Amino acid sequence: MAKTLIHATGLKKCYPLTKTNTVHALRGVSIDVEEGDFSAIIGPSGCGKSTLLHILGLLDAPDEGQYTLDGIDVMKMKAGEANVVRAKKLGFIFQGFNLIPTLTAKENVMQAGKYGGMSMKERKVRAEELLQLMGLQDRMDHKPNELSGGQQQRVAIARALVNKPAIILADEPTGELDSATSLEIIELLKKLNRENNQTFLMVTHNLEVANACKKTVKLKDGLNA
Amino acid sequence: MMEILRNMLRRKGRTILTVTGITVGIFAFTVMGSMALRFNKMISGGKLYVTGQITLMPKGTSFATGTGGALLPLDVLDRISKVEGVDAVAGGVELALEEPNPDDPIGGASFGPPATIEGMDLQSSYRNRNWANMAMKSGRMLEKGDPDTVVAIGYTIAADKKLAVGDTMTIRKREFKVIGIVDQTLTGPDQYVFMPITPARELLIASNPFLKSLKDRADEAMKISDADLAKLPAETRKQLQDARAFKLEDVSQIATASWEDGQDPDVVSNRIKEQFKDEVLVLSPTKLGETIDKAAAIFNAIILGSAVIALVVGGFSIINTMVMSISERKREIGIKKAIGASNRSVAFDYTLEAGVIGFVGGLFGLAIGVLAILFINNKTAESGAEIFLLSPTFMVGVVAFSFILGIIAGLLPALRASRMNVVDAIREL
Repeated sequence: MAKTLIHATGLKKCYPLTKTNTVHALRGVSIDVEEGDFSAIIGPSGCGKSTLLHILGLLDAPDEGQYTLDGIDVMKMKAGEANVVRAKKLGFIFQGFNLIPTLTAKENVMQAGKYGGMSMKERKVRAEELLQLMGLQDRMDHKPNELSGGQQQRVAIARALVNKPAIILADEPTGELDSATSLEIIELLKKLNRENNQTFLMVTHNLEVANACKKTVKLKDGLNA
Repeated sequence: MMEILRNMLRRKGRTILTVTGITVGIFAFTVMGSMALRFNKMISGGKLYVTGQITLMPKGTSFATGTGGALLPLDVLDRISKVEGVDAVAGGVELALEEPNPDDPIGGASFGPPATIEGMDLQSSYRNRNWANMAMKSGRMLEKGDPDTVVAIGYTIAADKKLAVGDTMTIRKREFKVIGIVDQTLTGPDQYVFMPITPARELLIASNPFLKSLKDRADEAMKISDADLAKLPAETRKQLQDARAFKLEDVSQIATASWEDGQDPDVVSNRIKEQFKDEVLVLSPTKLGETIDKAAAIFNAIILGSAVIALVVGGFSIINTMVMSISERKREIGIKKAIGASNRSVAFDYTLEAGVIGFVGGLFGLAIGVLAILFINNKTAESGAEIFLLSPTFMVGVVAFSFILGIIAGLLPALRASRMNVVDAIREL
């Protein structure tokens, strides 16, 4: 049986909008992700997809619930440990690519390696290797504004892979790409899943992306649908 | 490091403005600080000098405003030298090197003491305790037995008038041979002409109408033989005898006393003060030293105060820039934290960026300041004392200070950045 990477139950999260008005983004969501999964969280806008991803990515803390990430009880984790876990166990791919504009493609990838505790030499080798894998060997020293959307997203994928994370979390990875490039990126992610057994969990409302996934978790109004 | 430089260049205009702000502050700090250093060097030299002696002045004069026409007669100095604890007393005269120009009586205002003739009593065994021997650049200092036609001159005077040992120097229409040039002291003696006391007294008398009339009368009275004098009516005879009483040796405007080994100069000063209350003012080394310290403290406070204002303004401009640039880069901070940056690492990056802005501003400010100082010093060296003193320690300190100023100014915005909520930061578009 495959190893369980994410085991979360009864996650609740609310955001106070005003003194009297509170948004209940999550009302008790449960999710399991196993090693090698290629899954999607789907659901209509405002169903709590992004909030769930942020909580699973340790960017936000749930109000209630249980969450174990690769054997670590996140609920008992001390403040200040989250960034270490984030750097070593998780990779992120965002909708808007979110590369640092002043750094070159290679430097963007290397930066994540730095946070993951790699030496300068290690992260340089690793970044070059990954960018090559992404087919960007000619674009390593280009800044993000000199790259196309698809190229930028590949750099972001390389960055997410640097620290050999247990799981990569992707928030609408194709949200800002045209359909042809979207397919290309999805194929790339699938290939990484297939060949390297890399686990992916993504949020999407793109049906094509959802259909490409082996597993889907549906949310509605902050609950598992 | 590269990222920091690129971030600074991302908003070139703003970075340039901020760096300019720091540059102006550091420029002011460099210039003002160097002026304070120069001033303090001068003051400390003066202090060393006055605390090495007991200064005696005629009653009715003051150390600050000069002696006017009052004198210390030789007989008083002789009596003072016999006070318990006093080692030796030397009378002295001081007068400006140049005769005042009637069309410009104040003269060109200059920094530090004006060029001065110091009449030295070569016969006296008096020595300043802290300044017994002057280091010489060339030649030698005046010694007992030197003729009345030689002088030793200060470093600045030699440089101004392009004089070397062996040259002839004309002072108030009299010619003197330069036998020594004192090494640079950055204080009083740089502007001194050391002259045997007799010619100095003669020059002083010649420049002072009151003393001149006394001397002329004495000379006239001297022409009358004792035999002729005896024939004159008693009243006239008395007047002439009084006139004859004026002696060159009695012309001392100021005197300095040294104390015997093992004596407390303040106790000796008090002893002189008690015995000669009605004849001289006694300035003890401690008292004069304190007065000088007080004056220096006020001057330093004014100079450094104005520089600090400039720096505070610079510091605020760094804070402003960092706050702006951090709010612009909110999303970027979010990404960094999402991919594993710790709060500390985010804070470190932004603090260092502010530090680099401070450092660069400091370097530019120092460079411009040093150029200005060299330029002004070069100009003023021709006409008198240099106004600024550049010290390597001070220059390194200025840049280090600017860097630290940047760090301090950047600390608050950087901490704010590091505590930013990641989800909020990423959502920001």
